[in-house]
Amino acid sequence: MADSPSKILKENIWYSNPVFIQILGICSTLAVTNNLINTVIMTVGLMFVTGFTNVTVSLLKNLIPRKVRMIVQTLIIAFYVIIVDILLRAYLPDVSKALGPYVGLIITNCIIMGRAEAFAQSNGPLLSFWDGITSGLGYMWVLMIIAFVRELLGFGTLFGMSVLPEGFTHWTIMVMAPSAFFLLGTFIWISKTIMLKNEGGRK
Amino acid sequence: MKKDSIFYTVVFSFIIAFIFVFLLSLAYGATKEKVAENARITEARAYLSAAGIEVADPGEIEAAFNSAFPSFDEKAPFNETTVNGKKIVVSPFSGNGLWGTISGVMAVTADLKRMVGLAIISHNETPGLGGRIEEKWFLDQFRGESLSGKIEVIRGSGSGDNDPDNGKVDGITGASRTSSSIEVIVNNKINELKEMIGGIN
Repeated sequence: MADSPSKILKENIWYSNPVFIQILGICSTLAVTNNLINTVIMTVGLMFVTGFTNVTVSLLKNLIPRKVRMIVQTLIIAFYVIIVDILLRAYLPDVSKALGPYVGLIITNCIIMGRAEAFAQSNGPLLSFWDGITSGLGYMWVLMIIAFVRELLGFGTLFGMSVLPEGFTHWTIMVMAPSAFFLLGTFIWISKTIMLKNEGGRK
Repeated sequence: MKKDSIFYTVVFSFIIAFIFVFLLSLAYGATKEKVAENARITEARAYLSAAGIEVADPGEIEAAFNSAFPSFDEKAPFNETTVNGKKIVVSPFSGNGLWGTISGVMAVTADLKRMVGLAIISHNETPGLGGRIEEKWFLDQFRGESLSGKIEVIRGSGSGDNDPDNGKVDGITGASRTSSSIEVIVNNKINELKEMIGGIN
């Protein structure tokens, strides 16, 4: 199981990306990606939670009884998510207001549970931390691309700044969740095509 | 002790839950004042914005609030004050939106002829759709609006309805339910104020 850090990075960013290969964390992919700023904060929050949950699970793995393994993992995840929520509310109140219930919903993001169960349960704390952070990165870059398209076409802005001309008709569908389905589908199609092509080339 | 025994499981679960909840309450306690201060500033900003006073620097909001509302009583259903030589009444409101409670502040002239302004404190509407009720272009439509009849949220041209005499404001595209919730909430509050203040004057 001892994978090298660079292999973990490649796996999490591309070959088994949590979003477009494992299709995890779709709920938030649909919900927060109509705005780049919210997406950045959400994904940084997720990166933080996944990293630290992995460390904690990895450190406690020999103490946790098998019967209550899952519930303890959930407890640890909830702990870090509430910490993120408290920090945002105290120091970034505007962001906290904009994200609203989505911060709490990081708890239900399957990526965190998935990594805790699949990786941290059987690896050391440092490697687990790295795995959590890179999984978060894999999630982040996909969401950023989707958010880029949605904010640009839906609002005509990027990071809240107007970039398209005044007369541009906003695509209301891009603001709503269903558009993320279309974009994610297109994304999976493109990335899979590239992946298959590369595999074919190697043979 | 066997790791899979019921006793160990119970003790372990208890201890781990205790440790994490203890740490959380520490973090909560440490940031409590900061959070309360943020909430106060958000509320003060809403009152100022409803009364038509813009304060750019967040550090000056509390001072501006105290000078604009010298005898503010947060428990009273409404507060009277004088802004720019005009007597106005400010009052907090809340009501059901599409997903949750929408709360905010309404300011009207003391003779109840015109709305001074509207500000939103909190809401849970869809970001980018119903969430746009807190944007300036939407709220500015209420400024100076005539209160002689019912305020209507209509489906307008898309550029906003800035005629203060027709009692109409343009709703939000893609957020019809939130727009009509706002219509209900605003009119309820106006009627409530008319009953309360109409009795005094």
